[in-house]
Amino acid sequence: VNLELGPLLHQFFEAGRNWAVAHGMPPWGARLLSLTIQTNIVVWMVPLVPLILVYMERKVSASMQARIGPNRTGPFGLLQTLADGVKLMFKADIVPDGADRWLHLIAPIVVAVPAFVCFAPLPMGKSLVPVDMDIGILFIFAVSGVSTIGILIAGWASSNKYSMLGGLRGAAQLVSYEIPRLLSVVPAVMFYRSQSLRVIAEAQQTRIFDYLPKWFIFYPFGFISFILFLICSVAETNRVPFDIPEAESELVAGFHTEFSGFKFSLFFLAEYAYVFVAAAMTVAIFLGGGDGITFPQGITVSWIWFLLKTFVIIFIFMWFRWTYPRLRVDRLMQFCWQFLLPLSFVNIFLTAGWILWRG
Amino acid sequence: MPPIVLSVLFYLLATMLIVMALIVVTSANVFHSAIALTCTLAVSAGLFALLGADFLAVGQLLVYVGGVMIIMLFVVMLSQKPQRAPRSGSNGQWIAGLALAGVIGGYLVVLYRQYFSGVTKMGTMMPTSVSIGRLLMNEMLIPFEAVSLVLLVALVGAVVFGQDGKADAS
Repeated sequence: VNLELGPLLHQFFEAGRNWAVAHGMPPWGARLLSLTIQTNIVVWMVPLVPLILVYMERKVSASMQARIGPNRTGPFGLLQTLADGVKLMFKADIVPDGADRWLHLIAPIVVAVPAFVCFAPLPMGKSLVPVDMDIGILFIFAVSGVSTIGILIAGWASSNKYSMLGGLRGAAQLVSYEIPRLLSVVPAVMFYRSQSLRVIAEAQQTRIFDYLPKWFIFYPFGFISFILFLICSVAETNRVPFDIPEAESELVAGFHTEFSGFKFSLFFLAEYAYVFVAAAMTVAIFLGGGDGITFPQGITVSWIWFLLKTFVIIFIFMWFRWTYPRLRVDRLMQFCWQFLLPLSFVNIFLTAGWILWRG
Repeated sequence: MPPIVLSVLFYLLATMLIVMALIVVTSANVFHSAIALTCTLAVSAGLFALLGADFLAVGQLLVYVGGVMIIMLFVVMLSQKPQRAPRSGSNGQWIAGLALAGVIGGYLVVLYRQYFSGVTKMGTMMPTSVSIGRLLMNEMLIPFEAVSLVLLVALVGAVVFGQDGKADAS
């Protein structure tokens, strides 16, 4: 049985479109409808991600702290996040008195919407790319940068000093860590001569001696890139040890102190969606995308491998979160500008040297 | 996709662009102006995408929305109080401003008529990053490096001006 989702979906949508055209729909209309349905599949997949990740985070943190974690709602507490989501939907939406009403409303939307868009160029398996963009990597970086604006708006609109400080710190951190994060991907772009995540992932799906996977992480500069990208991704997703924007011991909850109910859940959703995007990017750029480890292609399908590897990376993120203490805000900046940035430049030169030497 | 869809998209984006640009100059709240300016820049990225310039659109988003505007919002946030944002732009310079805007606008229309009349390629998303890279590294290498040098000088100058006297003395 061939379980590759990509070709299957392609066939399904082709057939549906042809059927619609045969029954008197204009071709461009059928195409538009087909694209709309496909977009909706991707968009509806995004809220599912936090649902799974929050449960996973609770279980992982519980086992790291010798607790049990959620175990009452549904089997193994599986429905706990769903219950929380329903609770957040029906909570009262509180807008503080001095707040800027419109910006208070817009801020969570500006943070959440780019998170949805970022799922577009992710290659989730063989021919399972929602939008195969030539500049996929740059697209994700550019679009996720828009969320930073939302964090600043949230900090300002709440008219609360904790929110304000949280927003300022958050934006400073995100802008700073975006630079080494972008530069850590440059070696992969140079090496595989493409900015498309699909092309980079597929270029890694070869074998050394027909057995060992030839992923980017197994090159020396690739490994440095991987470490840099991982560190910067943790900082970009505002997670411990880099959760300065919402350091609860200093800033209550940072930029989302004054948000409740559905608005708060949008911030939460965006955060976890970005964790997934970061992990998926790591898999596509450094771990060969949907490439299997030892099995030859075809026994286990690519999208399962992709999800498996993505969840391993997400587990590493959670591992960081529950084992490291938080960095101080000035140390955080120092670490970025004085360590990560120079190292990423050195790494680019190393890669360039390797490419020149190998031809 | 038929041209009608593209036209509808264009007019939608253009209306948004004009409305947001008007808010930038008419809003009494500086923070609102900055947010509207962010929207303006983001929408112009949409116009680039509509013209098939994918790299340019993404670059616009990355540099202006993700970089320049964040610094600008920083300045506003650090210098204003959220509760009572002061009224801005209520001096008598609006006549001169309008005249200048009219002159620049007219000049842009003339330039467009003369040089860009043939460029109406819409809706084809061809990869452009390769050709842009070739151009920057071959024909445009000297201008490209000159611009980088100018920006570096500006950066160093900003750091020098930003230093206070105490840092100099030590």
